[in-house]
Amino acid sequence: MKKLLLYVFIAFNFSSISFAIIEIDITEGNREPIPLAISEFFHDNNSEIIDKKITENIRTVISDDLKRSGLFSTIDDKAFIQNNRAMHLKPRFADWRLIKAQGLLTGELSIEDDRLRVEFRLWDTFAEKEIEGLVLITTIDNWRRISHMIADKIYERLTGEEGYFDTRIVYVAEEGPKNKRIKKLAIMDQDGANHKFLTSGKELVLTPRFNPVRQEITYLSYFKNLPRVYLLNIQTGIQEVVGDFPGMTFAPRFSPDGGKIIMSLAREGNSDLYVMDLTTRIVERLTDSPAIDTSPSYSPDGKKITFNSDRGGSQQIYVMDSNGRNQKRISKEGGNYATPVWSPRGDLIAFTKFFQGQYFIGVMRTDGSGERLLTENWYQEAPSWSSNGRVLIFYRETKANDAGDGHSSSIWSIDLTGFNEREIITPVDASDPSWSKLIQ
Amino acid sequence: MRISVLGSVSLHLFILFFTIVSLPLFNNDELEIPPVIQVELIEIAEKTNVPQISKKKEDKKPEKENKEEEQKLNQPIQKPKEEKSNEKVKDPSTEEKIENITTEEKMIQNMPVRKPEIKKKDKFDPLKLAELIDKQKDTKMDNPEEIIEKDYEALDSTPSLDKRLTLSEEDAIRAQFMRCWSIPLGIPYDDTMIVKIKVYLNTDGSLLKPPEVLQHERMNKPSEKYFRTLAESALRAVRRCDPIKVPDLEKYDNWKNLQMNFDPRKILRG
Repeated sequence: MKKLLLYVFIAFNFSSISFAIIEIDITEGNREPIPLAISEFFHDNNSEIIDKKITENIRTVISDDLKRSGLFSTIDDKAFIQNNRAMHLKPRFADWRLIKAQGLLTGELSIEDDRLRVEFRLWDTFAEKEIEGLVLITTIDNWRRISHMIADKIYERLTGEEGYFDTRIVYVAEEGPKNKRIKKLAIMDQDGANHKFLTSGKELVLTPRFNPVRQEITYLSYFKNLPRVYLLNIQTGIQEVVGDFPGMTFAPRFSPDGGKIIMSLAREGNSDLYVMDLTTRIVERLTDSPAIDTSPSYSPDGKKITFNSDRGGSQQIYVMDSNGRNQKRISKEGGNYATPVWSPRGDLIAFTKFFQGQYFIGVMRTDGSGERLLTENWYQEAPSWSSNGRVLIFYRETKANDAGDGHSSSIWSIDLTGFNEREIITPVDASDPSWSKLIQ
Repeated sequence: MRISVLGSVSLHLFILFFTIVSLPLFNNDELEIPPVIQVELIEIAEKTNVPQISKKKEDKKPEKENKEEEQKLNQPIQKPKEEKSNEKVKDPSTEEKIENITTEEKMIQNMPVRKPEIKKKDKFDPLKLAELIDKQKDTKMDNPEEIIEKDYEALDSTPSLDKRLTLSEEDAIRAQFMRCWSIPLGIPYDDTMIVKIKVYLNTDGSLLKPPEVLQHERMNKPSEKYFRTLAESALRAVRRCDPIKVPDLEKYDNWKNLQMNFDPRKILRG
């Protein structure tokens, strides 16, 4: 009996060994940008085709993309210990750890049938292994897009989230004095490169919006002094009016599948929301209130719509089903709200808020809770999400002085966390930006 | 006679009862209830804790102690270092305890004569008290029951109370990993986003073998790419922190294997 008890006792003691390990919870961490080493891409003696500029530029574009995201920093190549081509096959990880690089990008360029072949590898210097590698083949002129795609891959591998560098921004370019402003549609890469104007500036244009699936934009332009919603194919340059409505149409936006346009239609001083199927051209009315309902935006699954309305006395944000039912106010804090935009992730709605003489760009959950104001300024509005729902762009105006000078408007980007606010440089004044999805 | 006895008893009882019941009533002062102080019991730094090893030494002072053995007892810490070269994780405390027992067993063999002496001494002689105490010390080791108890102790490899890491020691480890961990801020919030990593340490705080993700089955699922990113960032943090500054070597048993729970949920929720 005693023996049995002894065994039981021993068994009990051994069984408790598994519980003995100490657990330590790490709930905070370093929010500093992750340091990466981006090495120059090596190539064979194709110097007559691949000039030094391209290899340098590829590296610069990748570095700039990653740095601008605020999540990464790049290490100066003067600090690199290993500089030979062998690093593309097997880097000396200890050398890279020594300069505090957590990741290393190496690459090779070559020419195959007059096309540029870019091979890159991303190494985890602490795990001492390759964590991403890809070969991309394209025309030589396309090196910039290739660089953005590589940056997207690195971003995705290290943050777990889709990148947003191979994207474009369409916006309203503004020139001239305030009372005689010329407004043109313009498009550029998200880093400001490849800038071009899409319209001549004869007609006033406003609120351009990207089609989420096609190279197409919808916008508002004045025709015979009446605002109308237009469609423009970026590749072909063909432009058309969306529907023939008796009143003014404005604030257009595509549905997530790109097949419909939702907009505001104003008749006899009352504006309501309508949706038009682009294939059948059938128009459906969604709201019917004596107030002004405008700025509609679909949820990414297409089941809900957020919009703003002054039906309660002041401009507030509402959410309804995509058929117009279950309309419900969600903005709860004080102030006026405008331009709600549903995040591509589906969890947040971005908005412009006017409160105590200041304009804010903020986000709230889709039920109106958890409102967070990201940035405050004298005048700013019209947020637009990056394709991964991590960054917002909007435009900001500076106040003119007493003499009427000094007024300008420019595009800014800010991280969802409220950090990393940056200006996106444009050749002329810019307003009302819209960010495309990743280019397919 | 009976009446007087009864009277006396009843009077006495009355006085007793009156004393019990009424005396506190004369004291009208309100009872002052001392303020409630909440006390949280935590582990404090080992300087204020008597180390277990020193206690043992006091207990066991065999007169004929082998010097070599004593040295071994005093330096159990060096043990793990030797193991390091063998790349094996052993439990030094168990070893140490087993060693103690072998020492004790040797002592039993060395001192067989004294045992019956004490058993025979039934009479208490205050003059020989000192002697008695001395001998009891010796016999304590000889008691077979005691040895069995020691045996249990040797088999018990759970961390003992006074060797457990103190809060400040845990915090020191936590702070190091926090500095090394670059949180992948792009991961969307999910309630299951927590990575548990087992870390094996040498006595100098360096990694004994590669850290292990306990939820390894989630690492290679295509649907769990966010988890993989998070786990990789945590593994990078562990390697980046290598070697960590470690607590007292006496507690090596307790910190040689650690489970680090990397939990970014609060941050990701915003």
